[in-house]
Amino acid sequence: MAEVRFDAASRIYPGTEVPAVNELNLDIADGELLVLVGPSGSGKSTALRMLAGLEFIDKGSVFINDKDVTLAPPQDRDIAMVFQNYALYPQMSVAANMGFALKQQGIPKDERRKRVEEAARILDLEPYLDRKPKNLSGGQRQRVAMGRAIVRSPQVFLMDEPLSNLDAKLRVQTRTELADLQARLGVTTVYVTHDQVEAMTMGHRVAVLDHGVLQQVARPRDLYSKPENRFVAGFIGSPAMNLVDVDATNGIAIAGGTVPFDDSVNVANQSGTVSVGVRPEHLSLVTDGTPDSIAGEVTVVEELGSEAFVHVRTKHQGDDLTLVVRDEGETSTQRGDQVSVAFTGPTHLFGADGERVGD
Amino acid sequence: MAAVTSNSTREEQVKALQKKEARRRRLPLLPALLFTIVVTQVPFLMSLYYSFTKWTVTPPSPREWIGIENYTDAFTNMFFRQAAMTSVIMTLTSVVLSVILGTGVALLLDRKFFGQGFVRTLIITPFLVMPVVAGLVWKNQMFSAAFGVLNWVLNQVGVESIEFASKFPRWSIVGVLVWQWTPFMMLIILAGLQGQSSSVIEAAKVDGASPRATFFQITLPHLRPYIELGVLLGSIYLIQVFDHIVVMTGGGPGSTNVPLFVNQRSIGGGWRFGSASAFSIVVVVATIILATFGLRVLSGLLEGEEAA
Amino acid sequence: MSNNNAGPVVGKRTIGGYLLSVLAWFVGFLFFFPVFWMALSGFKTEADANGPPKLFFEPTTEQFSEVTGDTTGLLSAGEAFSNSFWAVVISTFFVMVLAVPAAYALSIKPVSKWKDVLFFFISTKFLPIVAAILPLWIIARELDLLNTRLVLIILYTAMNLPLAIWMLRSFFSEVPKELIEAAQIDGAKLWGQISSVILPIVAPGLAATALLCVIFAWNEFFLAVQLNPIEGSTVPIWVTGNVSTRGNFLAKLSAASTLATLPVIIAGWMAQKRMIRGLAMGAIK
Ligand SMILES: Nc1ncnc2c1ncn2[C@@H]1O[C@H](COP(=O)(O)OP(=O)(O)O)[C@@H](O)[C@H]1O
Ligand SMILES: [Mg+2]
Repeated sequence: MAEVRFDAASRIYPGTEVPAVNELNLDIADGELLVLVGPSGSGKSTALRMLAGLEFIDKGSVFINDKDVTLAPPQDRDIAMVFQNYALYPQMSVAANMGFALKQQGIPKDERRKRVEEAARILDLEPYLDRKPKNLSGGQRQRVAMGRAIVRSPQVFLMDEPLSNLDAKLRVQTRTELADLQARLGVTTVYVTHDQVEAMTMGHRVAVLDHGVLQQVARPRDLYSKPENRFVAGFIGSPAMNLVDVDATNGIAIAGGTVPFDDSVNVANQSGTVSVGVRPEHLSLVTDGTPDSIAGEVTVVEELGSEAFVHVRTKHQGDDLTLVVRDEGETSTQRGDQVSVAFTGPTHLFGADGERVGD
Repeated sequence: MAAVTSNSTREEQVKALQKKEARRRRLPLLPALLFTIVVTQVPFLMSLYYSFTKWTVTPPSPREWIGIENYTDAFTNMFFRQAAMTSVIMTLTSVVLSVILGTGVALLLDRKFFGQGFVRTLIITPFLVMPVVAGLVWKNQMFSAAFGVLNWVLNQVGVESIEFASKFPRWSIVGVLVWQWTPFMMLIILAGLQGQSSSVIEAAKVDGASPRATFFQITLPHLRPYIELGVLLGSIYLIQVFDHIVVMTGGGPGSTNVPLFVNQRSIGGGWRFGSASAFSIVVVVATIILATFGLRVLSGLLEGEEAA
Repeated sequence: MSNNNAGPVVGKRTIGGYLLSVLAWFVGFLFFFPVFWMALSGFKTEADANGPPKLFFEPTTEQFSEVTGDTTGLLSAGEAFSNSFWAVVISTFFVMVLAVPAAYALSIKPVSKWKDVLFFFISTKFLPIVAAILPLWIIARELDLLNTRLVLIILYTAMNLPLAIWMLRSFFSEVPKELIEAAQIDGAKLWGQISSVILPIVAPGLAATALLCVIFAWNEFFLAVQLNPIEGSTVPIWVTGNVSTRGNFLAKLSAASTLATLPVIIAGWMAQKRMIRGLAMGAIK
């Protein structure tokens, strides 16, 4: 049981100028499942490895349970890690893999056996305890990697894209099992993924990284409804939020349609190029002539059964602009239709610096 | 975390830790490095010193500093130039021939056929044969005019017997070297061929490329690093060839290469240590030039590894 | 190409494919023939060996017993084999003791300039041994090491070290980094990481590397003949001792050659695949 704290922690790889992780501040509560998400190369693995003790922390500190572990080797941090490729010891049986850490701690054989069997039972690995990793399926290997982590009852679990080597169906299933297991064990967990759906479905809170800089930490709901900046707005959500650059000198309008904002946004204060964000479900197709609607032509209809995403091409500030609109139920819209799009839900405004304006 | 003292800053502590880690990483390297430096560099420095002296053992004479005289002698020495030429020609031809033959044999062995593994085993055998044995067997039992199998075959087709090792000393030696090193090249290139993904070849076939075009435009470029590696390792060993020459021709016409030449001048009989040292330093300098080139090739190979 | 075998290979069952297989067998026998002939001649009498090539004859082991018997004043087979054995085994042991940690420091926990260091090791192989033999001889004479096994042990260690480091580095870099990190996180100290994670993976590579060192040291002639012409001489020198200027010697020479090459040929046959992977993988993944 542990809390984890990053305190302005940076990692600058030798021979590079730009920090891979830049002054990361992050508080993770006891028992929390925190997901680190971001595009590839954003520094997620580096941040995790800093916590594991596998990378030097060039500046700042890392605490586990208020104990400064910045300079401690991995062995002294009481953490367990699940690697993307699982890193199972190829020459050891499943049982030996899971018991390896206990053996290092000098725990007697009987006790080891008991704890390994216990973990194997939780993970449905009992029939495979004597097999070598190469004789297991991908999903089973993933579970062995998990087993190796839980058997130790560590302070913190670290997981670096643990599901990305599984096929799509197994990934969705394992994702739920993993979240459930974490909740049952109640062990503080830092989970890295580049998949924002995984992040949103699993995380108690989600931390978004880009270029080594923490963009926002929030509960999934808040991350979705109140993105702090333009990057988070564009990264979270599928399909992505419509983000339109607008010249704010004379009010804020997209392709002639004035954008409604809530009261906390003062449109008159804006100048220069700002970004307007609106999610597809907060736009709808309306009959012609609705005030402040945007006229355009349908270019693509993505039919998903329960809903459809309609791509509408329009002209904005002299350029082509495509808006994605969610159409609920069975849509009758077809490619080539002339349609109008209206704002029907919350909108977001990001200033010239990319930061959110208003609440 | 024992080393944490309160008055040093966090950054200093991290720096100290990184330094300690760097030291810890260097430690395992030191024994091998020291041993290599002592055993390979010290003799070289001694040679360098001797090369500026006049020093003969038979008849005994005291060592005497004479500056670069040995070097001017070396460059005007016709026999040395001949030996250098022989070294270049022998190394070049045997490397090139064994790479070409090795590629051919590798292609032949990279197909599934009955006894594939057995045939590969037969072919690598020459590489394992002790060089003096290789030289002696070829000279006495293959090339020999009286009892040689090669001459027996020639006789069957109506050609007179030839005493190869004395008639064509240089090329007889090259022949044996190629016999020994073709298997080596074959194995390296075979490793390359087997590392080639079949999907690329299939894609080429689907695209309608002829087998010839597939070979020259896809297989050969893929093999390039392997061939370079073979050339590099082959040259390292073949430039130093000594054993074969000693037992086959004893340095007969056109077959004295630099190693043999230098040896003949020093402990192999000449006992003129000063001038022999000058010869060897010239060789070293020439090899360094060659090695720089070779290491560049190696560097390219390692780049490839990092990119992969 | 071998990897296509799963798919339909045009020509596999055609006349052309058949001819290629026959050609491969023919080339195999061509390359092997001199070795075969050498072994065969070892079982001939001198009269049979020193004459027109003969495939069929009455075999005898007379030459083998003759070359292994003692002749006063000459290097005996027993001495030569025991000198070779100890020089080869001990030098290979030293090579491994020095090369394993070095290769570790060049791949698993690489020093900052590992490439330059590797280059230095390889570059020593470029130094012509003739350029060093004279000072080596002088040093050995000063230290009273001429005609001892020790001098060969030291020099064979130096001779094989760069190649061993090169090969071991390739085998070591095949150990996934995550595996060592996992062991670290699992609480394994350095020795634990090495003994339970790294060694089991690289063991076959270690064996192949050691074998290659054995082959090169066993076959070495130049240093042995220069430094140990009188005592402590090795098998290659014993082989050349069977060349005689008086009378026929081919059968005897063949018998000696066969005995001298056999150990290494068998070792090489066993290790062929791994040896080449070690050589090639260093450059190519
Ligand atoms: N060992 C390393 N040396 C130098 N740069 C590195 C190293 N590892 C990662 N990086 C760089 O640091 C950045 C962050 O990498 P990483 O943490 O692996 O990203 P992520 O896991 O989010 O994909 C990337 O730009 C990457 O190229
Ligand atoms: Mg990553």
